Amino acid sequence: MSNLTAIRRTINADLKRRQRLYWILLAVGLIALPWIFSSSFAVSIMIQIGIAAIFALSYNMLLGQGGMLSFGHAVYFGLGGFLAMHFMNYIEGGFPLPIPFLPLIGGFIGLLFGVIFGSFSTRRAGTVFAMISLGIAELIFSSSVIFVKFFGGEEGITGNRTKGPSFFDINYGSDIQVYYIAAFWTFVAMFAMYWFSRTSAGRMANAVRENPERAEFIGYSQRRVRLISFCLSGFFAGLAGGIFAITYEIVTEEALGLNESGTVLLMAYIGGLGYFIGPVIGAILLTLLRTVVSNITDIWLLYLGLIFLATVLFAPNGLTGLIMMHGPAHKARRLGMLVVPYVKMAFPVLMITIGFTGILELAHFAQNTSIDERTKALFGFTSDIDSILPWAVLSLLAIGGIYGVRQAKSGVLDAWARANEPEPSVPPKGDKS
Amino acid sequence: MSGAINIIDLHKSFGPAEIIRGIDLEIIEGERHAIIGPNGAGKSTLFHLISGHYEPSVGRINLNGEDISGLPPYEISRKGLSRSFQVTNNFPRMSVYENVRCAILWGQDHKYSFWQRVDDMEEVNVQTEEILDRIGLGGKRAFMPAGMLAYAEQRALEIGIAIANGSDVVLLDEPTAGMSHSETEQVVELIRSVTRGKTLVMVEHDMGVVFNLADRISVLVYGKIIATDTPQNIRNNAAVQEAYLGTEIEHA
Repeated sequence: MSNLTAIRRTINADLKRRQRLYWILLAVGLIALPWIFSSSFAVSIMIQIGIAAIFALSYNMLLGQGGMLSFGHAVYFGLGGFLAMHFMNYIEGGFPLPIPFLPLIGGFIGLLFGVIFGSFSTRRAGTVFAMISLGIAELIFSSSVIFVKFFGGEEGITGNRTKGPSFFDINYGSDIQVYYIAAFWTFVAMFAMYWFSRTSAGRMANAVRENPERAEFIGYSQRRVRLISFCLSGFFAGLAGGIFAITYEIVTEEALGLNESGTVLLMAYIGGLGYFIGPVIGAILLTLLRTVVSNITDIWLLYLGLIFLATVLFAPNGLTGLIMMHGPAHKARRLGMLVVPYVKMAFPVLMITIGFTGILELAHFAQNTSIDERTKALFGFTSDIDSILPWAVLSLLAIGGIYGVRQAKSGVLDAWARANEPEPSVPPKGDKS
Repeated sequence: MSGAINIIDLHKSFGPAEIIRGIDLEIIEGERHAIIGPNGAGKSTLFHLISGHYEPSVGRINLNGEDISGLPPYEISRKGLSRSFQVTNNFPRMSVYENVRCAILWGQDHKYSFWQRVDDMEEVNVQTEEILDRIGLGGKRAFMPAGMLAYAEQRALEIGIAIANGSDVVLLDEPTAGMSHSETEQVVELIRSVTRGKTLVMVEHDMGVVFNLADRISVLVYGKIIATDTPQNIRNNAAVQEAYLGTEIEHA
């Protein structure tokens, strides 16, 4: 027996044990969350996060794992949603399908369209694939204006999830019942997508992303490998669309528009394409921005854009990449030496953030306010936009912050180098993604 | 015919430029066959044609008696012909282990399976580990990203990927390119051991390697094979000496 066999068995056994723990924690967490955050606002946010997480993970099957940059992934989400909506109405008319299984209808529609559109778009990755996906997105979106009966025009398609047959008094009327439907499917979909990434087709999706030419010389058609990922990705996007339909009882053309396609790209990218959990983190962040932050400020989309830019420029592996970078230092038990430099860095970063958001908020306010309303509450202070003071203070904060970041930078870099000094006995890590 | 590969009247043109100008060649089953020739003679093009990377303009290529000309690379690979590349050509961000394992999957009939996890495929994993041991990457290096290996190790991995699926016919494109003397010696031993019982065709510039390994040698000059013979006869062949200006061959 190879020496390596023993190493691999140990690593795998360890990995399996840890993963089992993660999945159990996820299940327990999903069950327990509405007991911790029980307000209906919180429950609705959690449902949205679940939908977004499935959608973003399905997107990452294309971009992160398969190397296919799609600008039209909402097509499968939206079509799944519309079909689920129609079936909700059939259920009301007596179609024998329990409401909790409605997302499967969405999934199969996503799969069906995945097969159709994937059959000609997966021949190549890269620019060609991206352009075709954009074309399909435009095609379907304009179809929603043409086939008004199916897509319901501007009002969309509505339904009522409580009109179907009910079992044991469960009529799906309350938020919490919808939450558990969403949580169930979120768990199943996440597990299935993770499982897929560890199978033959899933591993080869990675290989084709890395080097499609070489993949062909070891027996795999790059096109077929991509097609499989594409179809399954369509299935899970449609499934998410189906949960969306149950939750809101309305699906409009927005669900399959370019905006939605762009959002899912941002979720996956900001969260981190190279890691399975990345898109989930992106989904949580963007959903919170969309719901919580949008309640606080009108210009949250601007902040989303800034976050995206910052990710592309400073953290190309996403938020998860930033966290995972600390793996080696953690293993070497040297994370402690990073704390002080990080805190020293956190202050100027906070100053920049406050300075810039303050200026942006004031500027936005000044653009839209009337002549008699000249003050705005900002970070607990009342700021008069006609006075120089708030502008000066915020500018000073931002400039001081930039100066501070420069000062703190060398400290962080030094500590980073010391924390990551190679240690001969560190066991190597498996490949990412 | 008993040929593992039979090439019949093969031509390949790129636009007006004819690179391969009528090749007839039989590779006998089980032999180690080297293809040599000056730069630009069309050696790599010939490999690309046999392995399905290019389609022949004219002519046929038979693998074990079956016509494979014009088939895509994955079909040819499934029929039992695998190859390595002149430049490092692996899956750089995947681990060395994964690189070899991916190359084994199809041959072990796992194909496009999306229900069985690779970690649970004990046979595939054990085989992966055997191959990693044979190419000298059996230690913890196996869990590094392939792109981070040293050059000589990348070349060994290249051979490992090529032999992983158990093909009977193996094409190696300049396996010792860019290696030091001692590294070259190691690779020659590696090639000898991993291709035992297989048919080997290789393109190689290092005449020491060629004369050390090959049972037969074909000399390719300007898209045509001017001689196919045993190493001894090739060394004494006047046409070959002329093509090489009498330098390298004599000293080998």
